[in-house]
Amino acid sequence: MVSIKKELDWFTVFLWFGLSLIGLIAIYSATQGPVSEFLPSVIQNNFWKQLFFVGLSTGLLFSLQFINPSIFKNFSYLAYGLSLLLMIYTLFFGQEINGAKSWLRFGGFGLQSSEFMKITTILAAANYLTSRRNLSAEKIRYALVSFIIILVPTGLVIAQNDFGTAIIFIALIPIILFWSGLPYGVALLMISPAIILYLSVFDWLYGAIALVLLTIAVFFLQKSKWLSLVSLIMGTATVAAVQFALTNVLQPHQVARIIAFTNPSYDPTGAGWNVIQAKTAIGSGGWLGKGFLEGTQTQLRFLPEQWTDFIFCVVGEEFGFLGASILIVVFMIFLLRLLHLSINHKHPFAQLVTLSVASVYFMHFFINVGSATALLPVIGIPLPFISYGGSAFIANTLMLAICLNMDLYKREFSIYS
Amino acid sequence: MSELNNNQRTRISIRVMQVLFGLLCLVVLGRVFFLQVIEYEQYSLQGERNSIRQEIISPPRGLIFDKKGELLVDNVPIFTLTINPANYDTSNNSLIANLLEIDVSIIRDQVTKARNYSWYRSSPLISDIDFEHFAVIQQNLWRLPGIGHQLESKRNYTQKVNASHILGYLREADREDFNSNKNIHLGDKIGKSGLELIYQEDLRGESGVEFKRVNAYGQTLGSFDLSSERRNAIEGANLISTIDSDLQAFAEDLLVNKTGAIIVMNPNTGAILTMASSPNYEVDRLAGRLDQSYWADINSDTTRPLFNRAISSRQPPGSTFKPLMGIIGLEEGLVTPETIIKNTGGYQRGRLYRDIAPKGDYDLVKAITYSSNTYFYKLMDDIATSGRLNKWSERVKDFGLGSDLEIDLPSATTGIVPDSAFLDRWFGKSRWGLGDLINLGIGQGIISVSPLQVATMTSAIANDGYRVYPYLVERIETNYSTTIPSKKSAKKIEWVNPKHLEIVKEGMKGVVQEGSGRFYVKNDVIDIGGKTGTAQNPHGYSHGWFTSFAPFESPEIVVTVFLENAGFASISAAPIARLVIEYQLTGSYSNYVYNYVKNWEPREDDSGQTTD
Repeated sequence: MVSIKKELDWFTVFLWFGLSLIGLIAIYSATQGPVSEFLPSVIQNNFWKQLFFVGLSTGLLFSLQFINPSIFKNFSYLAYGLSLLLMIYTLFFGQEINGAKSWLRFGGFGLQSSEFMKITTILAAANYLTSRRNLSAEKIRYALVSFIIILVPTGLVIAQNDFGTAIIFIALIPIILFWSGLPYGVALLMISPAIILYLSVFDWLYGAIALVLLTIAVFFLQKSKWLSLVSLIMGTATVAAVQFALTNVLQPHQVARIIAFTNPSYDPTGAGWNVIQAKTAIGSGGWLGKGFLEGTQTQLRFLPEQWTDFIFCVVGEEFGFLGASILIVVFMIFLLRLLHLSINHKHPFAQLVTLSVASVYFMHFFINVGSATALLPVIGIPLPFISYGGSAFIANTLMLAICLNMDLYKREFSIYS
Repeated sequence: MSELNNNQRTRISIRVMQVLFGLLCLVVLGRVFFLQVIEYEQYSLQGERNSIRQEIISPPRGLIFDKKGELLVDNVPIFTLTINPANYDTSNNSLIANLLEIDVSIIRDQVTKARNYSWYRSSPLISDIDFEHFAVIQQNLWRLPGIGHQLESKRNYTQKVNASHILGYLREADREDFNSNKNIHLGDKIGKSGLELIYQEDLRGESGVEFKRVNAYGQTLGSFDLSSERRNAIEGANLISTIDSDLQAFAEDLLVNKTGAIIVMNPNTGAILTMASSPNYEVDRLAGRLDQSYWADINSDTTRPLFNRAISSRQPPGSTFKPLMGIIGLEEGLVTPETIIKNTGGYQRGRLYRDIAPKGDYDLVKAITYSSNTYFYKLMDDIATSGRLNKWSERVKDFGLGSDLEIDLPSATTGIVPDSAFLDRWFGKSRWGLGDLINLGIGQGIISVSPLQVATMTSAIANDGYRVYPYLVERIETNYSTTIPSKKSAKKIEWVNPKHLEIVKEGMKGVVQEGSGRFYVKNDVIDIGGKTGTAQNPHGYSHGWFTSFAPFESPEIVVTVFLENAGFASISAAPIARLVIEYQLTGSYSNYVYNYVKNWEPREDDSGQTTD
């Protein structure tokens, strides 16, 4: 029997707690500060609700450590199936908030089923891949099945009109493939359209340069003419598709959003407003920030969704580069620590789950902060452990608790399976 | 592939991921460093600008008083609903429309307009809602996110007089207005007609500037102290007008259901005591929220209620012109007071110019009294044939006809008094002749004047030959100063001989005692001098004129009445002038004549015994 007190990875728990604390401080400022007079009481209460969720999650985190880790593996398909049903139920009977129909109401609380879907998808996909005798995705059938395990919930999330979360799901595919032995060149080939797409939105020339560089990289990694050719064709098609979509396919308001990303000052009160206000909040923070509850952008309500999607701006404005860099560095150490736990685990299931969980956190972090700093177009997803949101906080903590549990029992777990 | 190898491979993959995540985190950190440290200056400035708003404080507009200090126009507060499109839910359109009891399409249009202006700044939704509706909205505010209100003011008019043509209305400044005047801001209301337009700069005052801290909704959160930049608003100046509101109200009452104008002027100064034009419009319906259907109605109304007949109407003066003809004839030496001209029923010159005055011998006094045309045809003939047309034209213009009176109202007409150059333009060089001129002697033909010009001419006769410049504003008062608007003072018309004036005035007294005025103007209390006139009109009945001054010995007022399509002036315009004089000078009036005027209907004179 292991000693939780001695063998639990307290460093990760400590980092988790640090992030939650930063989140609570930022949510307090964003909802309880002078800004509260412009906010409905429902939103003012967000701080107190978050405090409750942090407490609840702390209990959950520790009580989960008493569970045998094989349960996560054994019940992964059941949990996956149940959460799919919940997703479908939400699709029909859910409540629409900010355009996304991803909420179920229980009294005063809302349940966002897609947050829990993330956990069960990771567990199911990992279980499927690692249950094969040869856990290589070289066998194309295994790879396809694991794709489907991921793509079904992705489709449901898209049906709920929540594109931000869909991106998180899709990003799991290359990560799992990469882990399971996909050659580096092929992995690069797989993510190259995303990179080319990102750059093509600014200018097709950037996309074309990236296309050439990526093709050369693929060639050197794989030494295969065919793969390089595929890379060239895919990349060219991406550049062309972006140009075509921008000029012919997308609706004017969608184009406006994309233009607002590449040039926010183009329509400062329309689509570019969020970006400009977010950048202004962060930029005006300077080295040390304007002080707790002193941020004019935050407290005068210039920031949209400042308790969730734009919470990073609150930290940046009120605590400056000092505060923002603490947040980023703590998050980075937290991610690297999780990957370290993943490496140290001998059991492939635990390894893949921990890697996937870290990747989900990372994608959230990168997209959220990238949106707020105009590194990426505005995609509304929360910052894990920092943004307000009960479902997200509990689900994210649950994922962490599973990783910690498997780390805690890593010797027994390897023997059992 | 062995288990170990495989494990080794996945470990390397995870290491690669570690490096990748670490690098991307550093990219984010670098981006934040770039924004917060490198570009700090730019964003901190923008942050300040974001939340500090320069606010223009509109000063209260100046008030307008009548000559006795009675308030004609002041300001009242109105509630305006505002909308913040970012927070507003369009499914509430019909709820708001129901609460306000207006058509939902109005709300929809306004919401679209507000969205086009800005998603995050407040725009007016519906202005000038009454307190009851405002209260209903306030009760329902909890289910109307994005709706707010602000306090504004609108013009409020006395109920006693209409005076719409004098006062004028305000409208929201358009793009052209603020391009031409940098003191005008978006949403300002500025004078578009009447005194509101002419005295716009005085009434408006000076707007102040204040710096306020605002939130993203544009809600103000108190002043932001930037004392060096702050400027207080200076309230608009008040106008003390020359209008006598009691007399104005009386005159307006007399014109109800008639088309025409009444002018009452002080002949010694040019101060206008009353200026009524009928039909008029309800100026208060153009204040605050514009009543669109009413605005469309008065603009398309064929009776042209927006048209100020008192100063803009152009009609031949008819026989009211005869006294001035007499003065010019005497001055030119073409006639003397003793000159007798025989009326044989008309004046034969190329053709017969008809004269319906009793046949017989006429000197000047009698010719004015009985309005004999022959006398003045002959006189005009002499003027023209002795080559004095241009001299005549100048002298007529000295009395104000055909010249700019420089009154402080917009769109006053200059009228037409021809000279040879004008006739050359009008008919073509040398393509006009005596036949086009003789009619001018009785104020017909190519001559047109406004009622105000006739009043100005009459003033010059009444005041011993001084040309006055009519005006409506006596003083412009602020808390600190009183200014007199720049205007020309009465000027002696050099060539006029007071003895000649006495002769024509005698004739005008005769008009009232024995001539066309004897029916309704003659009375035992006030001696009145006057002259009727009929302006022939190709469309329907003739227009009727009566211009007069009283008391005869030392005139205090000139009253000019002009009625469109009224038929003979002696039974239409003259009784109105009499009532006005009586009311102003004695405070009472003949009920008999009043009832006659109120029940009067246009008709051609049927007595057959008189001309105008």
